[in-house]
Amino acid sequence: MNRWRYLRNKAGWSLFTIIFVVVLNFFLFRVLSGDPARSYHDPRLSPESNKAILVRFGLDKPVINCIKTINPLRFGACNVNPLNTQFFIYVKNLFQGDLGISFYYNRSVSDILKERLWNTILLIGGGQIFSILIGVLLGIFAAWKARTIIDYGALITGLMAWSLPTFWLGIILLFWGSNHGFPIGGKATPGMSSYPFFTQVGDLLWHLLLPTLTYTIIFMGEYMLIMRSSLLDVLAEDYILTAKAKGLSTFQILKDHALKNGMLPLVTIIAINLGYTVAGVIQIESVFSWPGLGGALFEAVGRRDFPMLQGGFLLIAFSVIIANFIADLTYSYLDPRVRTE
Amino acid sequence: MALQTAEIKPSVPASPLSGFWKTFSRNRIAVVGLGMLIAILLVAIFAPLLAPYDPGASLDVKISDIYNPPSAAHWFGTDDAGRDILSSFLFGARVSLIVGFFAAFISVFIGGLIGVVAGFYGGQTENLLMRFTDTMLVIPDLPLIVVIVALTKPRLLNIIFVIGIFGWTTTARIVRSQTLAVKSRKFVLRARAIGAGNRHIILNHILPLVMPLLVVNAILVISLAILNESTLSFLGLGDPTAISWGQMLNFAFGRGAMSAGAWWALVTPGVGIVWVVLSLTLLGQGLEQVLNPRLESHHLMPGRPSVQSDAVVESATTKKKSKRRQDAPLLLDVRNLSVNYVSAESVAKAVYNVSLQLHEGELIGLVGESGCGKTTLMLALMRLLPAAGQIANGHIYFQGKDITQLNEEELEKVRWSGISIIFQGAMNALNPVRTVGDQIKEAIVKHMPSYPPGTLDERVIELLELVGITKEYKDQYPHQYSGGMRQRAMIAMALSCDPEVIIADEPTTALDVMIQAQILELLDDLRKKLGLAIIFVTHDLGVVAEMCDSVLVMYGGVTAEYADVDTIYNAARHPYTQELLKSFPDLSQPEKRLVSIPGYPPKLDELPAGCRFAPRCPLAMERCATEIPKLHELEDGYHLASCHLVEGG
Repeated sequence: MNRWRYLRNKAGWSLFTIIFVVVLNFFLFRVLSGDPARSYHDPRLSPESNKAILVRFGLDKPVINCIKTINPLRFGACNVNPLNTQFFIYVKNLFQGDLGISFYYNRSVSDILKERLWNTILLIGGGQIFSILIGVLLGIFAAWKARTIIDYGALITGLMAWSLPTFWLGIILLFWGSNHGFPIGGKATPGMSSYPFFTQVGDLLWHLLLPTLTYTIIFMGEYMLIMRSSLLDVLAEDYILTAKAKGLSTFQILKDHALKNGMLPLVTIIAINLGYTVAGVIQIESVFSWPGLGGALFEAVGRRDFPMLQGGFLLIAFSVIIANFIADLTYSYLDPRVRTE
Repeated sequence: MALQTAEIKPSVPASPLSGFWKTFSRNRIAVVGLGMLIAILLVAIFAPLLAPYDPGASLDVKISDIYNPPSAAHWFGTDDAGRDILSSFLFGARVSLIVGFFAAFISVFIGGLIGVVAGFYGGQTENLLMRFTDTMLVIPDLPLIVVIVALTKPRLLNIIFVIGIFGWTTTARIVRSQTLAVKSRKFVLRARAIGAGNRHIILNHILPLVMPLLVVNAILVISLAILNESTLSFLGLGDPTAISWGQMLNFAFGRGAMSAGAWWALVTPGVGIVWVVLSLTLLGQGLEQVLNPRLESHHLMPGRPSVQSDAVVESATTKKKSKRRQDAPLLLDVRNLSVNYVSAESVAKAVYNVSLQLHEGELIGLVGESGCGKTTLMLALMRLLPAAGQIANGHIYFQGKDITQLNEEELEKVRWSGISIIFQGAMNALNPVRTVGDQIKEAIVKHMPSYPPGTLDERVIELLELVGITKEYKDQYPHQYSGGMRQRAMIAMALSCDPEVIIADEPTTALDVMIQAQILELLDDLRKKLGLAIIFVTHDLGVVAEMCDSVLVMYGGVTAEYADVDTIYNAARHPYTQELLKSFPDLSQPEKRLVSIPGYPPKLDELPAGCRFAPRCPLAMERCATEIPKLHELEDGYHLASCHLVEGG
């Protein structure tokens, strides 16, 4: 079955990318910071504690086993047991889900990120659903009404939304919201935990409203533009004329013949754009002090919390790679030419 | 299926560059974008002259200077340190634009290099480079940029370099596919044949053709770089010695502009970013439209309403042309039909004053060169004309109704159940993402709502078997069919709702000779078995001789000749028909020399003043160039021909 070969290829490639990111992450924090140990050095701790951290993460050990070309950079000593190098320990820790200890929180990075992952999923999930829904509907409408005032209006709106810096839109909405009774950020009103469950959920949604709105506006424009242009191509295809000749109504043609074909490029673009989605989320979470992954990354930059930065980057990269793979799965399901060829 | 929209395209411009500027200046989006970009570039260049204050000057900050609202002294108010926001804004433009342009330069250079090398050399090199590109494409770039800038020093040069180094992936992909497309063009192959080196070919032959796409892409990359820079600065990773718009926002947001209600400190820098990014987006979008124009219309755009022209047109006789079917009742009566393609610049008369009568069981052959209005006429019969097409005169009577006057809902009922159509090139006429059986079933469900749903599948299988497709293929997709099978599936689909009339629009083009014969035989069989009336559009006169009852020859959108098939073959009167017959091989006269007709059919928006065939006619007289010939009745109206030569019988 060729479909399986297609999926095996994609899965293999995702795995390769993950390995690439793992290696990149390791060297990034050891090469760019100059001294490998510096990124783990917390000036607020006593020398003994710092030493303990270095030992715990194996930073007192050679980076990797001797490689001739790297050795001049004082990266590793020769004749070392490869199992006793920083790289091996880093990979081993990673497999155990250990991303180190945050300087700022003095807690396990993976524990903190685990809590925060759900907040981000909540934000991305809602935002994606709304932006895709609205974007796709507007895109269909604009393509259907091509070369009319509706189409031009949608096009200009889409281009404007695409040109907005995410964080700035967030700031403007936050500024407006704070003058209109909206929360000024965060996830819950202080003291909320003593209230009944449903009040808490309501409060959460209330806090989620403006961040989700920001996300929706930013990504809606892009999805609309893609849907519009892909549907314009589809609607000019011969099989649409066939459908019309068959006496199908405009609604039936859009629903049964145009949409599935028109959606195909969108699925690819959603996958390719996941990187931008992440970029958007970092900005939105920073502006709205939303306790998610992006916010964690932002705070870590300000606090020079390197383990958090490293762990956050790794988790984000993993999520995007996996989501990309899922998009490939969806594509192969939607397009019979991939499914059966 | 080639709609005749290509014929109403404007003529080729004098030189490519002036042509480019002409289309560019007509594209409002591109012009607005360019204007906005030039404006902000001027602001950035002349910032020292325009700025009322020096934003770098240290000043004694008094509490009363902080976050002052806009006033005559400070048009855009003051910031958290009492500085003039307008001045910071003007200088900030420089930083944002410098980072954007230089970072994009790096990205486009890397991406262009990787794309050209991968596309040009191919093989293992391409494989490796594109794998690497795909890997980089998946890794989220902003977090990576944030991490790297956080680890190194936030200096302007670092920021430019880091943003540039991670922004090349889309460029590489686009340039690679364009290089692939250009590589096999003739002049590149020729250059290689005369021994030109790779470097020479890339620089002199490939790069110029990749350049337009690269420019459009570069504009997008610049806007992304500017957005990335502002985000970095907003996150607190900007160069403290070069205040960009992002940093102004970082300061305002982080230093209490929100609680102070200082909207001017929050709005002003953001408007700058939006202005630049929007100008680039508009310019890029417009340029793409100019360089890569897409179709102006699609099939769901509303058609133009039919009109009746006041110009007096001679009415044609409705005498039965076919001798074989003298007693068959009239089914489809087309009277004086004219179709125009209307655009802003011109009106093309694609079909003019054509009449035809189709009787039960009759097979009319509609013959003519490409671009003579055959397809337009057929589309008009089902009111399927593209958005620019308009029925300019005439009537189409079918089952007591005039199709030209029906509304959309009534049309839906007539289509397929009354008149169905087999398009040429069934590859594209079937939806690639739905099974063939499903697409046939859909038509039955629409037009025969009372059909028992339980037997629908049986009906589909029956239809497929009728055209010689076994039932395993019912749930397969079009791409799993061979070309001939798709065409037969199309016929099965056309039969699905028991139509009275089937239009076969060159159903056998693009098929090999054996399959062609099969399909034609099948159509003829079905006609005899089911009593269908068929309009057969073709330019193959051999097919016409074998199958048809009557023949309508079209030239340049008008009827040249219309008569019984034997009359056309043995006693054609119009020079065009005579020339056409000479150009086709005849098995009974193997020694006959084939002669092609010199010249081309007329452009429909530049028709000759007289007879449309006159410029190519071997028998043309003086009056042919000025006077349009009437459709003369011969043999008591059983034979029509539009030529001055047949005047008076």
